[in-house]
Amino acid sequence: MSTVATGQASGRYARLMTSLLRGTLRLDVLVNKLYPTDFNPLYYTGGLSNLFLFTLVLSGIFLFFYYDASLGESFASVQYLTDRVPYGGIVRGVHRYAADGFIVGILLHLLRNWFTDRHLFARDNPWISGMFLLLFAGFIGFTGYQLVWDERAQLLTSMFVAMLRSIPAAGAALTRLFIGGVGISDGTLVRILFLHIGPATALYVFLWWHYVRQRHPKIWPPGVWVLFCVGLVFLLAGAVPVTRETIPAATPAASPTRFPMDVFFLIPFWLLNFLPAGVVVLLLVALFVGGLAIPYASRRETPVEMGVRHSGVAQVIDGNCTGCELCYYDCPYNAIVMVPSPGPGLSKAAANRSLLAVVIESRCVECGICIGACPFEALELPKFLERDVLRQVGEAVQA
Amino acid sequence: MTQTLKVVGFICDWSVDLAPLSDGGRLREVPGVRVIRVPCSGFVRPNWLEDALNRGADGVFVTGCPYGDCLNREGNFLMRDRIDQLRRRLQRRKVDPARIGMLAFGLHDGASFLAEVKAFVDRIAALPPAPPARAAGRAAVTQPAQASEGERP
Repeated sequence: MSTVATGQASGRYARLMTSLLRGTLRLDVLVNKLYPTDFNPLYYTGGLSNLFLFTLVLSGIFLFFYYDASLGESFASVQYLTDRVPYGGIVRGVHRYAADGFIVGILLHLLRNWFTDRHLFARDNPWISGMFLLLFAGFIGFTGYQLVWDERAQLLTSMFVAMLRSIPAAGAALTRLFIGGVGISDGTLVRILFLHIGPATALYVFLWWHYVRQRHPKIWPPGVWVLFCVGLVFLLAGAVPVTRETIPAATPAASPTRFPMDVFFLIPFWLLNFLPAGVVVLLLVALFVGGLAIPYASRRETPVEMGVRHSGVAQVIDGNCTGCELCYYDCPYNAIVMVPSPGPGLSKAAANRSLLAVVIESRCVECGICIGACPFEALELPKFLERDVLRQVGEAVQA
Repeated sequence: MTQTLKVVGFICDWSVDLAPLSDGGRLREVPGVRVIRVPCSGFVRPNWLEDALNRGADGVFVTGCPYGDCLNREGNFLMRDRIDQLRRRLQRRKVDPARIGMLAFGLHDGASFLAEVKAFVDRIAALPPAPPARAAGRAAVTQPAQASEGERP
């Protein structure tokens, strides 16, 4: 009966996605044994990411007060912040570990929503903006490692420059743009500081895009999870100080060849061990473009296999609509707008209406929640009419 | 006893996997229960539940995904609220609100879903018998009885 995961999946890709869907929901069952379902952290991966982002912004503002963006001073200013400023090291640790939590939250959010088909129909706006959020978050993490301007930052910069240079035609110009001149100078760190904070501001623009088509987005996780995550980040910052990896300051003479790895942000740079820079750039671009294509190209089921979940865009029955706004309040995708009614409806209740509901078809995901909201029979899913439901009810009670 | 009960269940296509549990729209282990697949639990119009009771069903229930995991974020919460409202409305009509149920189970929760449905059916079986089916048709209390604007033509 239920066709979500048992429909005749056609093709290897469809079968793979179906087994991933089943696996994701199997994981939920396990977690739901530990927590009430309202508190399942896997249901709040987006909210947790947002919480970590908020933590990052607050701790980042604190760090910004002490940071000095110049070749000679930046490493010393970070040292001063870590050792001399009360709790400076803790805040720095919070910034670091919250960033790890942020990227993990984003990736979990992406995989979960991909595997459970939450990118289909009109949900492509959150998906596309989410890909940009991921891209920007990764880039911000990378520039964050550069700001410290130790030997790792120095090596990362030269690796990144190599990646930029490998881009055909635009490579040289991009490199000049990134390091601010022909060689690394004080201006480079100013640019990197901007490339750390500017995209971080842009994250909130993308978040607006992420939320704009959703009526009640789950922006924050439940309160206990807020406390737990913030507490965990603080505990980690205290228990595992970021200064445990002692990396010397960058000097023009130093030519480092290795650095402590960070699995959350620096994987592309780890790939440079095996692949030429151009291939890594190509891989990243392909991943991003492929990610953008997922809502349009990734079809787990054909429309026929979706059955009742693909019943067509909701339609307003003009004559019955009373302009009561109930569907407008309940639609989770802001797909229903109330417009001034051009004329009275046909039914008695609709005779004195002043508003009329209109479905914006490009936003409708065919969930049918508006049908449940409407007490006046003024909304229908074209391929699953009220008549069909009542016929099934009739068969059930007569048999 | 439970054999003679007629129970209608509206089941979100994303929630419990019915393939191993049912054939022909009927739960194998609880034969009195007919299931109707819907795209989201929020799709169910409370009138339909009331209508099913009026037409002689002994009980109706809606099954959504676990709270917090609705594919559309809100469907099962909205349905829970609507069912609470419907229960209050039915109470005024002296219909036992226990005849209406809201369940929430995920794809792999088939066993606990069955247990919950059985418990639901047993609770209904213990109630005094329902009034006989009214004439099929629209629910009688779509609007408060005295309200002048009913949209029935």
